Amino acid sequence: MATITFRNVAKSFDNGKFTVIPDLSLEIKDKEFVVLVGPSGCGKSTTLRMIAGLEDISGGELFIDEKVVNDIPPKDRDIAMVFQSYALYPHMTVYKNMAFALKLKKMPKKEIEEKVMWAAKILDLEPYLDRRPRALSGGQRQRVALGRAMVRNPKVFLLDEPLSNLDAKLRTEMRSQITMLHKKLQTTFVYVTHDQTEAMTMADRIVVMDKGVIQQFDTPQKLYNEPANMFVAGFIGSPQMNFFDARLENANGLKAKSVGFELEIPKSKAAFLSDYINKNIVLGIRPEHFISPDEAFEKGSCSLTVSAELAEMTGSETNIHFELDGKRHIARIKSDKKINRGDKIKLLVDPETVHFFDKETSLAI
Amino acid sequence: MQKMLKKYFPVFALPTLAAFAISFLIPFILGVYLSFTEFKVVSERKWVGIENYIRIFSQDETFLNSLWLTVKFTFVSVLTINIIAFSLALLLTKGLKGTNFFRTVFFMPNLIGGIVLGHIWSLIINGILGYFGVDITYDPKYGFWGLVILMNWQMIGYMMIIYIAGIQNIPDSLSEAAAIDGANPWQNLVHVTIPMVMPSVTICSFLTLTNSFKLFDQNLALNGKSPDTSLLALDIYKTFYDHTGLKLAQWHGMGQAKAVIFFLLVALIAFIQLRATRQREVEH
Ligand SMILES: Nc1ncnc2c1ncn2[C@@H]1O[C@H](COP(=O)(O)OP(=O)(O)OP(=O)(O)O)[C@@H](O)[C@H]1O
Ligand SMILES: [Mg+2]
Repeated sequence: MATITFRNVAKSFDNGKFTVIPDLSLEIKDKEFVVLVGPSGCGKSTTLRMIAGLEDISGGELFIDEKVVNDIPPKDRDIAMVFQSYALYPHMTVYKNMAFALKLKKMPKKEIEEKVMWAAKILDLEPYLDRRPRALSGGQRQRVALGRAMVRNPKVFLLDEPLSNLDAKLRTEMRSQITMLHKKLQTTFVYVTHDQTEAMTMADRIVVMDKGVIQQFDTPQKLYNEPANMFVAGFIGSPQMNFFDARLENANGLKAKSVGFELEIPKSKAAFLSDYINKNIVLGIRPEHFISPDEAFEKGSCSLTVSAELAEMTGSETNIHFELDGKRHIARIKSDKKINRGDKIKLLVDPETVHFFDKETSLAI
Repeated sequence: MQKMLKKYFPVFALPTLAAFAISFLIPFILGVYLSFTEFKVVSERKWVGIENYIRIFSQDETFLNSLWLTVKFTFVSVLTINIIAFSLALLLTKGLKGTNFFRTVFFMPNLIGGIVLGHIWSLIINGILGYFGVDITYDPKYGFWGLVILMNWQMIGYMMIIYIAGIQNIPDSLSEAAAIDGANPWQNLVHVTIPMVMPSVTICSFLTLTNSFKLFDQNLALNGKSPDTSLLALDIYKTFYDHTGLKLAQWHGMGQAKAVIFFLLVALIAFIQLRATRQREVEH
């Protein structure tokens, strides 16, 4: 039951010597699951810690539920946080770890027990309640950390890379558990990760950050289909989007000329691109949008032939690495044939799936 | 290899064993033996059984006095030293300006020897008491509290360093988690910081306890002249050296008996204390 609003929030360390977040404005809706993603050091944790009240805010205002919380200490913010390192109390049992916050609230013992048992049941922790954290596996500790947050029924749930210490299988499992938890608890979740699969699968909306600046804040679909700039385009999607330098020319219709191929601009995009005639632009093509000639496909008005440097079978699909114009690219195509190094391969592109970026500003056109 | 080591074990262990025997074991056994004798010099002794032990409780009232005084002194010093040292450590781990300077300053008294410190404090305390026309021997209370102050002065810095190390070992995220869980600074201290520094508490209380209980040179320097403020060690010393005359051999025997009791007490305290605090420690 809480909205979180950043209004021109700035954060710097050491009396302004290092500015980590220059000017951040962001509105998180009630009950929303928002994921913060971005490269390491971009200020995700700092943003989360400001919501928690663990970092002072150097400028601007932070609201939780329309109330300015800049100077409210963490204990009075009614938020719960799951740390990357879990931060369980080593001297307390699992039960006491989860009960601690409730005990501080002076909740009756009976009620505490009910809450802890409820969380333990959901998280499968019942057999471990009397153990100390050091006698638990990583996944179990992680669940205790979640449980400690759950029992409090907080206004806001903050999670800082909670799954990064787990192995791949457990991570997938916990991912769906957290998503279910969000549905069940009906509270606002803010989740930090640098794993874009986590971001794409869990989020209602994703904040993509770079160097303390929000690059785009939108739904996973929107980020994927309509990235606002080259950073977002490259960050979301895996393997990452391929970028090709090109020049826009108008001869028998609008065409983007790149090294090795030529792309006819579809009618739908022509209007936006008219300002860029005879200018340099960047074409963005996602690996999965390349099409192998084996597949039945008609619309394609663009084809390129590349020489495969490496072909990785990933089951139903093959990732073909190739070089063009001095840059490495990846195409992911459906193919039954075994592809060898050095094979010449023809790739088709549907112009409708191509993204166009301004080369100077790197913004989407 | 393993077999070889086993075979030659006595050869390798011998030097250490010999040193241990010569410097500790033999004098210790001899000492215990002497406590059952009367002697003027060690080579001429007369077996008296447990007579010495009876005498120190029946004829020499200084022993029980100093035992009681030592207990009181140890209790007060352990509490004050640890509480003050821990509080200072808390203050000096907050990342305030000048922290390093103060750490050094508080540690310095530790570098001065006990006797010197005793004399310095005797000058200071007598200087202050001089305004009121008395000195430290005027009232046993003065001597007692003088000793407590001196002991604090000397040991706080050292204990503080140990506590600082302990506090710095606690991950920041723990107190952050506690703050988010709703703990105010005091609750954070009680529920997180203190339980987490229990290993340091073990070390520090052990060190202060035994050091206070065994205190000698500071005691000698500060109030060697006043009869009522001798702790156990000084009392033993005085039993040996402050007597002359015919009964000297008896005094020596009694001193020896006191020393044996003293040893047993120190060993017992150390043992109980270690057991008690070990149980409260957490590995992390
Ligand atoms: N106490 C501090 N003093 C100075 N700089 C700091 C401090 N804490 C963080 N920073 C800097 O702020 C920047 C952002 O840090 P932050 O921890 O928010 O990154 P992040 O996005 O969470 O990265 P990661 O994915 O690696 O966790 C980093 O460049 C970091 O060096
Ligand atoms: Mg981080």
